[in-house]
Amino acid sequence: MAEISGTTVEHHDPPIECAVRRYLYVWEGQIRIIHWVNFFCILILSITGYFIHNPFMSADQHPYIMGHMRHIHYITGVVFCGGVLARILALFVMSNRFASWRGIPNPFSKQDRETFWAYIKFYTFLSKDTPHVIGHNPVAVVAYIFLFGLFLFQILSGFALWAQADPNGTMYALTGWIFGILSNQWVRWWHFMIMFLIGGFVINHIYSVILFDFKTKSGEISSIFSGWKPDRRD
Amino acid sequence: MSNFKEMLAAHNISRRSFLKYCSALGAMMAVPAAMTPRIAAALESDNRPPVIWLEFQSCTGDTMSMLLANRPSVGELILDHISLDYHETVMAAAGDQAEASKYATMEKYKGQYICIVEGSIPVGADGAFCTTAGKSAIDIMKHVGGNAGVIIAVGSCSSYGGLPAAYPNPTGAVGVSDLLPGKTVINLPGCPMNVDNLTGTIVHYLTFGSAPAMDRFGRPKFAYGKRIHDNCERRGHFDAGQYVENWGDSGHREGWCLYKMGCKGPASFHNCPTLRWNEGLSWPVMAGHGCVGCSEPGFFDTMMPMYGRLPNVPGFGVESSALRIGGTIVGASAAVFATHGAVTLARNWKQVREAKEETREITKETTDAEE
Repeated sequence: MAEISGTTVEHHDPPIECAVRRYLYVWEGQIRIIHWVNFFCILILSITGYFIHNPFMSADQHPYIMGHMRHIHYITGVVFCGGVLARILALFVMSNRFASWRGIPNPFSKQDRETFWAYIKFYTFLSKDTPHVIGHNPVAVVAYIFLFGLFLFQILSGFALWAQADPNGTMYALTGWIFGILSNQWVRWWHFMIMFLIGGFVINHIYSVILFDFKTKSGEISSIFSGWKPDRRD
Repeated sequence: MSNFKEMLAAHNISRRSFLKYCSALGAMMAVPAAMTPRIAAALESDNRPPVIWLEFQSCTGDTMSMLLANRPSVGELILDHISLDYHETVMAAAGDQAEASKYATMEKYKGQYICIVEGSIPVGADGAFCTTAGKSAIDIMKHVGGNAGVIIAVGSCSSYGGLPAAYPNPTGAVGVSDLLPGKTVINLPGCPMNVDNLTGTIVHYLTFGSAPAMDRFGRPKFAYGKRIHDNCERRGHFDAGQYVENWGDSGHREGWCLYKMGCKGPASFHNCPTLRWNEGLSWPVMAGHGCVGCSEPGFFDTMMPMYGRLPNVPGFGVESSALRIGGTIVGASAAVFATHGAVTLARNWKQVREAKEETREITKETTDAEE
């Protein structure tokens, strides 16, 4: 009966010099902070963004409600932009090998390809063996790359729509080119639609961490709060 | 018309009124007040370039807008006073005579005359859809437009294709700048264009000899530099959260925001709220109907449904709203992963049962030992 908690050790277990030895510090502080900043931003942006699409409350509930909702949406959008850019920056600086670009599966590496297919087989019920890696699961990495593409589009289209209030300003100069590709109304449409794509991802993400937390006993869920994962390499 | 001063006198317009109008026009074009004498001089000079007004696939709404210009009366006189050498709807000449007059003007003022275009140009079927005097619209546009000093596209059709270019665009309608990519084209979209903006644009060209500052869609910034939403008199109701929910409800009678009724003001750039229409009397939102976004590129298609916020997606037999598609995406994701979870549980059922069994045994052993 091995204890999962790092500090208590059962009497009949062989003594461990340092309890923390059986754990790996996978997600460093800045990575966890960025994760949760982005989480709360997405939550707030989705609620206020849906409100802007369909103002389901009126001045009766709160005076100046649309003004405040838009204010919160814009401020949160700026924070979210910082969070997303910080995470992209953290691929290259101030991150360990689990969080950096080195964690991205290399399509030219035979081992990475095998791990990737092992995950695909597991997800599609073609194999019962549960694969395990310490950092990001390679299929999830592909989903994250796609997800960050959506984030960047949301940020760009969001600032572009905001900048329409002042077409002579710097923000419009930086983002207005999008209206040469997509009309005003379709930029709005996609900005709204991608909220649902992100919503679909959130369901996938939560399901997958619960699945792997259970199947590989690797503390997927607690690791994003604490940073530690049990060492299950053997 | 001989002398502009005499013409003003004949219409009982004082010098003071004329200069006031020039100042107002300067203010509208956002040029410094010191430019007023230059504007007045440009209008009074007798070497103004003539205008050739071409009409293709249109409803003549822009011609109507021009003919009904009467605020202030000086504006009307300016438009009267420009030498409108060719305009199919209003000119007295007809047939060969009219064509001859057009070619004479083009010859004499090559590279100087102003070409105003109303209506979209059909490029489908090799230009067979719209012909005048035996020539296709494409040939006329390239010939007349190519030799003009400046082209002013009035109305949404000549600017971006407009209604004739709406899906499925049977005639292959395009705007002037699509056909003549190298030429300076000043777009004055709107359905129809607001004639005060045309007066301003012409006066700007007469005064400075160049097009006014334009946005990325070729629209003068003085007229299209601000969003309707940002200058709307109902904007306060938008921010406050006071919306018309149904036509004729109490909010509608109170003059609340038309956002939920599909108003496209947040997506449209035009000076309707400040300049207004019909002698500055009113404009659509003031009259209680949402903006339809007529002066944006992509109007008509991207601004429909007229009473909905976002475009609908055609396909699957019915057009689907953004919300329905989004809901389907989230629902599908939930269904896929719920199924995956159920299958995973079923596949591991034996294992789960064994684990439960084991746990029970351990618990029993521990309890026994304690006893």
